[in-house]
Amino acid sequence: MMLTIATITIIVLIVIVAAVAIGIVVVRLVRTRRQRRHTALAAGPRRALLAFVADNGEDGGDDLVAIADDAWRAAEPGALALLSKLRGEAHDALAGVFLRRGVARQAIRDLRHRSRVRRARAAQILGDLELSAAVPELCRLLDDRHGEVRIVAVRALGRIGDPAAAWRLIASLDRSDPAPSLLVTHTLVQLGADAEVTLSAALDHPQARVRVVCLDALGLLGATGAVDRIARVLRDDTSLDVRVAAAANLGRLGTRSAVDPLTDALGAARPMPLRAAAARALGDLGAPAAVTHLEGLLDDDAFRVAHEAAHALRRLGHPGHEALRRIVSREADVTSATGLGSPAGPSGAAAHAQEALALAGVGNPGPEPVLTVTR
Amino acid sequence: MSRILLAEDDPDIRHLVTFKLQRAGFDVTAVADGFAALRDAHAHPPDLVLLDVRMPRISGIEVCRELRADRRTAGVPIIMLTAQARSQDLEQAFAAGATDYVVKPFSPRELLDRVETVLARVST
Repeated sequence: MMLTIATITIIVLIVIVAAVAIGIVVVRLVRTRRQRRHTALAAGPRRALLAFVADNGEDGGDDLVAIADDAWRAAEPGALALLSKLRGEAHDALAGVFLRRGVARQAIRDLRHRSRVRRARAAQILGDLELSAAVPELCRLLDDRHGEVRIVAVRALGRIGDPAAAWRLIASLDRSDPAPSLLVTHTLVQLGADAEVTLSAALDHPQARVRVVCLDALGLLGATGAVDRIARVLRDDTSLDVRVAAAANLGRLGTRSAVDPLTDALGAARPMPLRAAAARALGDLGAPAAVTHLEGLLDDDAFRVAHEAAHALRRLGHPGHEALRRIVSREADVTSATGLGSPAGPSGAAAHAQEALALAGVGNPGPEPVLTVTR
Repeated sequence: MSRILLAEDDPDIRHLVTFKLQRAGFDVTAVADGFAALRDAHAHPPDLVLLDVRMPRISGIEVCRELRADRRTAGVPIIMLTAQARSQDLEQAFAAGATDYVVKPFSPRELLDRVETVLARVST
């Protein structure tokens, strides 16, 4: 009796194992066959797509629109991938084929799909198509409950580059879980110079984070028309982070009118991070007029301020290097006049100047250094 | 017929560039990584190299440097394909010996124009 039960159990197990094995083989065969069919179906449209794109879409658009739906579905992922890697006439021509096939209409419908994957994919397609008509719907997606979808929408708006999206992008930063600042900054820059007015207006936004992003975008856009507005932010803003960003971007913009506001920000009564940022910005600005102010900062009590001032002088080129050499020579004169080297080494100012001069000399050997302060 | 060596890990771009250049009458050898590009270039020095900056295993910048260091390929013009026109990438590319660059996303027409211009400059 026991033997019969054991035998039956073994037989049942063998049948189960065999059934599972056969099932796996069948599923694999079906998948492989489907994949082959898919590849075969996609091969024709793919060749036509490559030829169409390689000819900048001058010929063959009607043939692509006429491709049967099942073959197009097989080729569509590859075509979409290609779209995101192209620009110019080839991109516009391929986007035109997608539009004629109704892909954009479907994508706009999918922006309201309940699957977040479908919504994100639709946003990406509309961005790759650079479809300006989709901007309002993509802006609506900036309030999506899923962060990943919002990020795809931000990228898509950047790719489209319509400045009408600027305000909604800025407003999207004012939430508890906004898209990364760097991504939004990059996207605002992609909107181009027409977004500058909106960015300047947003410098009054109550959120400091928003104001910092707008300042960075203005700096990267090279918005020289906004220098006076940024200078006001540098002087009056209530947030130190915002004022530091204002200083950095004035340096980036590189206009002469930025020298005075930055020089004012060096004052001893200002917060240390702001003074350091202003010193650095004066170096970025490349204004020889700043040399005297920076030179005076090398013996500042705040190490960071003195350090940034020395390196700003280094970046200013010849007039800055001259100032650094003056500081080193002055100290050398004092030590030789007294006949005593400082046992603790050069003073703070001379040490900063020496460091900056040494860095200036790296990869640029020349008749540089006056680097021999007596120890 | 000028021979062009293309090193690009993205198959879509590799196929498209190959297709475009072949239709323009060039003999194109396409490889998917930098080591394959170095092997091919050393075995049969091409008339021009198209190099993607970011490739697995060895970057386009390093390949460019290696090609410039070898006397067989030191004079071959090299066009870099770079994903972003970041000044750092471009500085690195030119410091490594690149002749020109094309920014991705790219226009096939512009790429062909660059290739023809660089080859014309070399032949004169």
